[in-house]
Amino acid sequence: MTDLRKAAGPALFFAVALALPLVVTDPARLNFLILILMGAQLGVAWNVLGGYAGQVSLGHTVFYGIGAYASTMLSLKLGLSPWLGMLAGGVVAVAFALAMGWPCFRLKGHYFAMATIAVAEIVQVLVTGSDWLEGAVGLYPPMSPTGFGAMVFGTSKVPYYYLILGLLTLSLAAGWAIERSFIGYYFRAIKDEPEAARALGVNLTRYKLVAIAVSAFLTALGGTFYAQKELFIDPGSVLSTSISIKIALITILGGVGSLFGPVVGAVILVAVEEYSRVIFGSTGAGTDMIVYAVLIILVAVYSPTGVMGLARDLKRRFVPGRTAAEVRP
Amino acid sequence: MGMWLKGLTAGVALTALVVGAGGAARAQEEIRIGVVYPLTGAAASTGVELKAAAELAAAITNKEIPAPDKLLAAVGMPNLKGAKIKLIFGDHQGNPQVGATETERLITQEKVVAVMGAYFSNVTATASQAAERYGIPFMNADSSSVTLTQRNFKWFFRTTPHDDLFVTNFFTFLQDFEKKKNVRLRDIALFNENTLWGNETTRLELKLADQQEFKVVEKLHYPAKTAQMTSEVQRLKAANPAVIMQSSYLGDAILSMKTYKELGFMPQMLLANDAGFNDSEFLKTLGKDGEFVISREVWALDQADRNPLIKAVNALMLERAKVNFNGNSARAFTGMAVLADAINRAGSTSPEDIRKALAATDIGSDRIIMPWKGIRFDQSGQNELGQGIIVQVQGGQYVTVWPFDVATKDIVFPIPAWNAR
Repeated sequence: MTDLRKAAGPALFFAVALALPLVVTDPARLNFLILILMGAQLGVAWNVLGGYAGQVSLGHTVFYGIGAYASTMLSLKLGLSPWLGMLAGGVVAVAFALAMGWPCFRLKGHYFAMATIAVAEIVQVLVTGSDWLEGAVGLYPPMSPTGFGAMVFGTSKVPYYYLILGLLTLSLAAGWAIERSFIGYYFRAIKDEPEAARALGVNLTRYKLVAIAVSAFLTALGGTFYAQKELFIDPGSVLSTSISIKIALITILGGVGSLFGPVVGAVILVAVEEYSRVIFGSTGAGTDMIVYAVLIILVAVYSPTGVMGLARDLKRRFVPGRTAAEVRP
Repeated sequence: MGMWLKGLTAGVALTALVVGAGGAARAQEEIRIGVVYPLTGAAASTGVELKAAAELAAAITNKEIPAPDKLLAAVGMPNLKGAKIKLIFGDHQGNPQVGATETERLITQEKVVAVMGAYFSNVTATASQAAERYGIPFMNADSSSVTLTQRNFKWFFRTTPHDDLFVTNFFTFLQDFEKKKNVRLRDIALFNENTLWGNETTRLELKLADQQEFKVVEKLHYPAKTAQMTSEVQRLKAANPAVIMQSSYLGDAILSMKTYKELGFMPQMLLANDAGFNDSEFLKTLGKDGEFVISREVWALDQADRNPLIKAVNALMLERAKVNFNGNSARAFTGMAVLADAINRAGSTSPEDIRKALAATDIGSDRIIMPWKGIRFDQSGQNELGQGIIVQVQGGQYVTVWPFDVATKDIVFPIPAWNAR
């Protein structure tokens, strides 16, 4: 019974998500839903490292950029399908993550976060100055042919929608598998009591590397999706620090270390971002930015555990018969 | 199970409700044009000026304010029974993804018949790509990256000249000048900063110098954030070029001028590539030491002395928006005027008719406020009659000195030596 009840939420989410394009046919509105799913997918990917293993990265844009650039370059130079490019991007991102994680994981807490910012900034500068990657000019993935094989779709947003829903599902499945396996317990031990975990024989660096590898791979998939959707990438659009911050913010807003937290965070953050811009943005007064900022401050002050944490607190208070021990941390 | 279905239905309905809110009824006689500019964020001040310029063009087309008959925008919409233009603005915040999202929203929800934007080249790249997918004309008045028109889009039109053309202008100018003054300025030095812009400029300058038989006597790249330039300037001095072509941002432009003065060096002509040399801070900081620098520009206010049309339109802008036109807003004004004119000539608001009318555009230089030969688009959508201008600092002002037919002042040549000023 408990299992069934636990499964009800996610099942409802997937049922609604699968059915939505039948109801929402307007491309701009569907695009809005795609933006939410893109944010959620990146948040779930970030959560593996930042949530479960507790290593806060503010440089995830690097993996996003690697995914976007790898698939685009392979498609432009070798005519490779973006599907293979997507996989290749993931592999390159993993290699980069391991090379970056090895020295950076010697740093703890804030120092690790700062190191990730630095790495991301360096990569952005290098790509901007690179002739081979067309530097600041940017790259255009081919606009035609269209179709499933080319991962480019004309004016219909529906294929993009199901594609990103698929990526999100994959990311959630990875998160779910990690949560339930011994790796998930190791991650949480590393996060909460690293010294105790080490004393019990957990190889800290190895499992942190596992976390960053999985996280980087999934983030790179999101990068390829971006490139195929917008059909233009440059360092400013896929390698900027603001992307790193947005990814982290989505997860923190929704609930760090909870499987569906980033999904909730993405719904709220993207909705506020888009609607405040549409309603207030064209005035040129910056009202949308103010609304956006106020919301983030409210969450930070009143519910530091994110929206999922808030929901759990309410449930604990109002639903009888469930003890705190039953509620997953 | 019943609960389940109820939950599912409620979920879908609720989301659809939230997502579906908005969308408005429209009057039939309106011509809706979408405009995407950076209205918030780092470039907001520029965006607000661009917006004001587009609004001025629309107001003139709508006959809300009187303007000289000769002006392109003053034609109005006689072929559409005087229908009124309504501009719908989207804010892209300088973000390429937002640019595409906003363009799509304007096309699908606001039902605009054409889109103009987007100032930043990278946002123009994604926004115009969205318009291309939907088959909606995209007017670009102010992005200069060459690659935009190399895509050979069917629905993309750019009125402004691009970066390659600006560099080409330098060489055309030198040749023109040689002929006019009967001098030879064949020894040139290239002195550019070392990021993408400087590197691209150098590459093109080398190619053109080679083709047009100029001799590059020195070629230097320096780091844009450098704190001293003594060794670079000494090398330039040793090479003794007649002309230095320089691409610098503000800080390095000022530093180079100070170093030139310190080392008592000045070539016969200093030809700057806009940017730092045209920043309002440049002359504020250097004062008299900034005199006689020659730089490229897209527009200059002194053109109003030559062309009464510019004077009249600038007065309208000053009255409405309390600012003078500058290179950016003048181009935005012109872009909107060209778009409105095409819609009128199309006599219809069907995107395909507007595209055909745009492709057939042939506007003379006497009807626009730009120092161009006119507006006519080539196959790629690039205006082939556009050109930059070259200005020189004279008496603390940037005055137009080339093309000679739009010049307001003669060039001071050669630049007086530092100790002879």
